[in-house]
Amino acid sequence: MILQNLSIKRKLTLITMLTSSIALILSSVSFLIYDLVSFRNLLRQDLMTQAEIIGYNSAGAMEFKDEPAATATLSALTAKEDIVTAVLYKPDGKIFAHYFRGNAAFSGFLPIHLQKKGTRFEGGYLEVFQEVTLNGEHVGTLFLQSDMRQWSLRAKRYANILIIFVLVSGLFALFVSSKLQGLISKPILHLEDTMRMVSSNKNYAVRAVKTYGDEIGRLIDGFNTMLSEIQQRDTALQSTNGELKTRTQELEEEVFQRKQAQEELLKAKHAAEEANRAKSTFLANMSHELRTPLNAIIGYSEMLEEETRDSGKVENVQDLRKIQGAGKHLLSLINDVLDLSKIEAGKMGLHLENFDVSQVIEEMVTTLQPAAAKNGNSIQVHLADSVNTMRADITKVRQILFNLLSNACKFTDHGTVSVDVDQIKLENRDWIQFQVRDTGIGISAKQKENLFQEFAQADASIARKYGGTGLGLAITHRFVQLMKGQICVESEPGQGAAFTVRLPAQLVIETTEAAQSDSASKIPAAPSETKAGMETILVIDDDPSVRDLMSRFLSKLDFHVVAAANGEEGLRLAKQVDPLLITLDVVMPECDGWTVLNKLKSDSKLADIPVIMVTIVDNEAMGLDMGASNYLIKPVDRDRLAVLVEKHRVARTSITDINSVPLSYVAESPASRKTVGARVPKTRRN
Amino acid sequence: MPKILLVEDNEMNRDMLSRRLQKKGYTVVTAQDGEKGYSLARSEAPDLILMDISLPAMDGWEVTRLLKANALTRHIPIIALTAHAMVSDREKALGIGCDDYDTKPVDFARLSEKIESLLVEKKVS
Repeated sequence: MILQNLSIKRKLTLITMLTSSIALILSSVSFLIYDLVSFRNLLRQDLMTQAEIIGYNSAGAMEFKDEPAATATLSALTAKEDIVTAVLYKPDGKIFAHYFRGNAAFSGFLPIHLQKKGTRFEGGYLEVFQEVTLNGEHVGTLFLQSDMRQWSLRAKRYANILIIFVLVSGLFALFVSSKLQGLISKPILHLEDTMRMVSSNKNYAVRAVKTYGDEIGRLIDGFNTMLSEIQQRDTALQSTNGELKTRTQELEEEVFQRKQAQEELLKAKHAAEEANRAKSTFLANMSHELRTPLNAIIGYSEMLEEETRDSGKVENVQDLRKIQGAGKHLLSLINDVLDLSKIEAGKMGLHLENFDVSQVIEEMVTTLQPAAAKNGNSIQVHLADSVNTMRADITKVRQILFNLLSNACKFTDHGTVSVDVDQIKLENRDWIQFQVRDTGIGISAKQKENLFQEFAQADASIARKYGGTGLGLAITHRFVQLMKGQICVESEPGQGAAFTVRLPAQLVIETTEAAQSDSASKIPAAPSETKAGMETILVIDDDPSVRDLMSRFLSKLDFHVVAAANGEEGLRLAKQVDPLLITLDVVMPECDGWTVLNKLKSDSKLADIPVIMVTIVDNEAMGLDMGASNYLIKPVDRDRLAVLVEKHRVARTSITDINSVPLSYVAESPASRKTVGARVPKTRRN
Repeated sequence: MPKILLVEDNEMNRDMLSRRLQKKGYTVVTAQDGEKGYSLARSEAPDLILMDISLPAMDGWEVTRLLKANALTRHIPIIALTAHAMVSDREKALGIGCDDYDTKPVDFARLSEKIESLLVEKKVS
């Protein structure tokens, strides 16, 4: 395990050393063993030869039982250092003579089994038995024991030499292998270094240096090829990344710009809507302001005319009539402007009723007779028999006819103005067709282009000569459109003109406006003396006059009113008084209505309080989206507000049993509402 | 002589209309604002009320609503007068309980007719 994790350098060195050392040791040991075995055999031969000689020399002494001679013979063995024991046995196995080296105590050992002849190795000793014969007759046995000192010495020396040799050769092998392993390890280590550099610095530009053409060289080649490929991809990736970054920035910028543009557009749109609303309000107010003094002018002059006539001062009557005429003209101009602004603001409603067409025609002809007579014109009427009654807005039909006829009279001198009325069928529907012809100055093709445009008389000179605002035909056109009819003109300069108007004989309106205003008008005022159990309404508006008006109005409907002049105060009061509902203005300084609405709806304690937006900002969708219950646009339609607050009052008092108290029930009967309110216990929303 | 209550904030118009009505033989009581009009309608018990809608503070709609909600004054016919000749004004006037409606500047002959017919109606009922 440890070996496996060694560096390649060490491994290579170690492998080389181990291999060479093992080979060396093996060969040395085998040589050693061979030598020692041979040496031992040599020793044995030597010992056997000695035994033969000693046996031969001792045979006489044995035969003659000459023990000292035998001992002397054995003593000669002192010269032989390695022989430790020599014993002569008699044939009966008893010791005859003996020799022990160094007078060492005889170990008591004596071979138990006497052999006649032979050698054996026993307990580190070489033992030899030699038969002692004299003239072929067995006289005894010689036993020699050698401690093989020479052999041991030799073995020890050899071992020492071997160890030194192995050590020296090992060191030499280490030296050589550590020099040579570089051939393999260096390029690999270099490759490793290069790899580490690449991975730590992410620098794909470095390359490993190839030293040799072997497998490692090919490995380095492969590695370099791989690197260059990675480098290429990296470069490509970086450039792509750069492009992506640039593109993202561009996109972000574009989004930002669009957002800005959108915001600006929205602002512009709000501003335009605001301006349009302001314009309509201005026109409505101005018309009111203008009519009030006109009312006095016309009224007083009429009164004066009557009084003057009564007192007989006839000469003043004409002048007073001129004042009246001028006043009425001015009034008609104001009406035209107002009509047009109402149409533009989409506020021009229709009041449909059934009426007799011939009667209207007759009326108009009578009205316009003086105007016709002024230019010496005659009016002719052709009423088809099929024409009977129609359903439309009679005021507007009158005005259409009046405009067409007065134009015809105005632009015709001593000619004929004719009115043709017919009932026709087109596309399976009945239409009443009015045609007004004159024999007057006519209209050129170019003039026709702008004929129905506001403030566009045929040309400026006409305005000077004939007067008028240039609104008559524009209004006529709009009225016809409003009643889903058509208008067209045929004319040549100098050849007179023919205006044709077609209106549906039975006009139907799909809008629910009428129904709404009906229900709104049925609100009970129901002022009541009882103040107990009154519900609270919180009015949030920065305009003191609005707060005042709302307070008065809602108090009359039997509510307790709490008013807040700004959003913060409103939110505080909402928590404090827990109102039945909140009316909320949008345009307020600092904390605007949207913010207040948002805070109300995100507060769990306040979220259930219904909020009625009361504002000049026309963005109902946003209000309802943000959680407002209703959306009213200023100036507030009080009737609608009254209906709404009633609904919420009923919803609260009968929340426990809402199905049994239909909302309409309340609107119809204030008395029963009171009863319901008293009977059902007041339930909190939460 | 029938008594008419004229509620109108503009002094000239109030003077002019009241004088013309008086010349026609009516007794005329005038009020210059809504609150005064409401109290006079209760104290004077007029036969008919001409109600200008654009009044300061408490406007004509409100006065009308109050009068029509009160048992004492509910029966008095009211003609609403408005300078805003909007159709919605007309719908609103009739919806809120006005008995008739006319626009300013007043066409006196037309207004006289409306007054007469309402007075006759009232007498019949």
